[in-house]
Amino acid sequence: MPQDVLQQTYDAIVVGSGATGGWAAKRLAEAGLKVVLLEAGRAVSPKEFTEHMPAYKLKYRDHSPEIERTRPVQKQCYACMEYNYEWFVDDLENPYSTPADRPFSWQRLRIVGGRSLVWGRQSYRLSDTDFKAASRDGYGDDWPFSYADLAPYYDIVERYVGITGAAEKNEMLPDGQFLPPMQMTCGEVRMRGRVKAKFGRTLTIGRAAIVTQPHNGRAPCHYCGPCERGCSTFSYFSSPFTTVKDALKSGNCTLITNAVVRHVDMDSDANKARGVTYVDRLTKETKEVRGKAVVLCAQALESTRILLNSATREYPNGLANSSGVLGHYLMDHVAGGGASGTFDDLNVLPSANPPHRPNGIYLVRFRNTPSSGKHPHFIRGYGFQGGSGPDFNMEAEGLGAEYKKAVKQGIYGASLGAFGESLANFDNYCEIDQNLKDAWGIPALRISMAHGKNEAAMMRDAGVTAAEMLEAAGAKNISVQTSFGIPGMAVHEVGTARMGNDPKKFVLDPFNQAHDVKNLLVTDGSCYVSSACQNPTLTMMAITVRACDHLIDRFRRSDV
Amino acid sequence: MRNHGSEVSLSAQATQSSAVISRRDLIRAALLAGTSAALGPAFSLAQTAAFELTPAQRGEDDSKQLADPNWKPAFLSEDQNETLIALSDMIIPATDTPGAKEALVNRYLDLVLTGESAESQQNFLASLNYIDSESQRLFGKEFRSLTAEDQDDLLRPLAYPQRPSFWLNKDLPDPGVEHFGRLKSMIAVAYYTSEIGERELGWDGSFTHGPFQGCEHPTTTHK
Repeated sequence: MPQDVLQQTYDAIVVGSGATGGWAAKRLAEAGLKVVLLEAGRAVSPKEFTEHMPAYKLKYRDHSPEIERTRPVQKQCYACMEYNYEWFVDDLENPYSTPADRPFSWQRLRIVGGRSLVWGRQSYRLSDTDFKAASRDGYGDDWPFSYADLAPYYDIVERYVGITGAAEKNEMLPDGQFLPPMQMTCGEVRMRGRVKAKFGRTLTIGRAAIVTQPHNGRAPCHYCGPCERGCSTFSYFSSPFTTVKDALKSGNCTLITNAVVRHVDMDSDANKARGVTYVDRLTKETKEVRGKAVVLCAQALESTRILLNSATREYPNGLANSSGVLGHYLMDHVAGGGASGTFDDLNVLPSANPPHRPNGIYLVRFRNTPSSGKHPHFIRGYGFQGGSGPDFNMEAEGLGAEYKKAVKQGIYGASLGAFGESLANFDNYCEIDQNLKDAWGIPALRISMAHGKNEAAMMRDAGVTAAEMLEAAGAKNISVQTSFGIPGMAVHEVGTARMGNDPKKFVLDPFNQAHDVKNLLVTDGSCYVSSACQNPTLTMMAITVRACDHLIDRFRRSDV
Repeated sequence: MRNHGSEVSLSAQATQSSAVISRRDLIRAALLAGTSAALGPAFSLAQTAAFELTPAQRGEDDSKQLADPNWKPAFLSEDQNETLIALSDMIIPATDTPGAKEALVNRYLDLVLTGESAESQQNFLASLNYIDSESQRLFGKEFRSLTAEDQDDLLRPLAYPQRPSFWLNKDLPDPGVEHFGRLKSMIAVAYYTSEIGERELGWDGSFTHGPFQGCEHPTTTHK
């Protein structure tokens, strides 16, 4: 590394190169600020993409004992497979603890791009029913801005990222800047029609961060299927090949990989962040980088961990934690309630050949909406994701030639699985585990979270409503699911450094600056006030751009 | 849902980790001397050590590994291996396409079982032993030595189980059906993930055939 890299003072230090860190680096660097982007993991290359490799070329065909040994937590993620498990953190190097009766599944990547390399790509706007939820039902707190404040930033992000989807004019799910939608199957067309006719509910094709026409130099999706193994045409959005690339191209951004950030350094006299200290992942050397502003985009729990590990004499309970709520109000969507069935009358045979659509359907929230009125058993609501289509039937009964034939005859399935709002609750939190350190000697987290009664009631309702809708669509063999995964399994963890106007109740101000330390920003999911039920990444990216534009303004006014 | 991430198990891992790390550090330091925290090309493999890539990401092709002419079972005994071959050949025989035997289903399962937990290994063997003990009970010899007709007679009731009577035995799962079901699902996975199995399902070897077309029926068809 050239020596001057760590000698100079940058305008902004961005920690984390995933969906939000990539945007922060791009936005700030393109505005002319000198940016250093720190990533805890290594660089990533398109040469390691494996989306076109058939399973039979894998030694264990996705049953590798190596995953079990080094990634007992990560393997709980559907996207962690024998193809790509090295992208996920090694659980032996990255421990965390939980109370025995409050398990949490923390699924993460440390590599340029972070989880944007393997994310589910579903991209939905929040509405004012979400931003002002507390005003409507009295639970928790409103966000410190409204939909109108964020809408222009949703536009900016969507236009750049490329979101395939269809406009629906639904009050719960604002439309956005869409590329042409992907097509629905016969079963989905039928579900859409009957669910609208019988229940007045909206089922739409998934809105996904996948380009369906040439877009910003990226080729349209070629429908091979498994995006989470990489994409040789960069058709799904991941930060290394879009935002991070742009940031570096600007000439104003320096990327340092293998920089595991330990804490933020403070200038206590000025009450300003003056940089961050990191541990080199490979050499274990401790290094310091200096900047006029620090922007944490490390992922909700990781950013909060950095702040908790940055305690000073002035901030003994964690940096920027005079409110005492840092680490609290951890949320993750409750997921699992739903139903599945079969459309036995749709005679379409399954195909082993592409096109494989890397997207599903979305059924918009219909509980506790302005027009539906109040549900008697729970507040807030859930949306369904799922799909319908023919698939091979390995579970067919029998044996011999008859079995082989039945497998190929297949089964036309249909399923709806709910993602429900996780209520912000002070008692769901993370803190530093004083007895646990990671492989770099950095104190690790103790995470304590459980879904509550509201979430359970929601998932029971989701099982019933999904079954009703499948039945209305003519499905047979319907099975209902009302149980749900442990927190973390939705991989939509948000909260722990929530934003709001009152410095006594919130960690961050309405522009993601710490109330206590104004040149310290956190723009990833930790700023969330309430989880809503929509997948969070799109909103996190829009919030990041909004916060960065505000920071750029401050630089222009020499106010940092 | 399993109780994941419990305090006990993760703390135990944490204490092991320092030993694991220090050994790997030595390798890393040797391979990456001077290039750590490199600012070089952000998207290059040059600074990535091979052990930080999966075999698939390194481009390894393990599809021929099971075809080794000197192959010997590592987990199964020779007898168990022969029983598994006979059983897989009854469940997925060669028809106008190759079956489980040609797809070397037994070899793949032997490989996977080698890395499985002691519990799943025992479950597998218990199920395989059940087939042989039924064979002994009904025909006085082991399954692999039966005629194809006798093998079929033995397996058919397990493969097409009677629905339990609503009035009688409704809470009693048939252990034979469970043992057979476990073996069959593992054999099916092994077969349909093999190249022969992928071709059996009709895969033409392509990764793209243009955009997804979806429903092309008239709009009134699915009302």
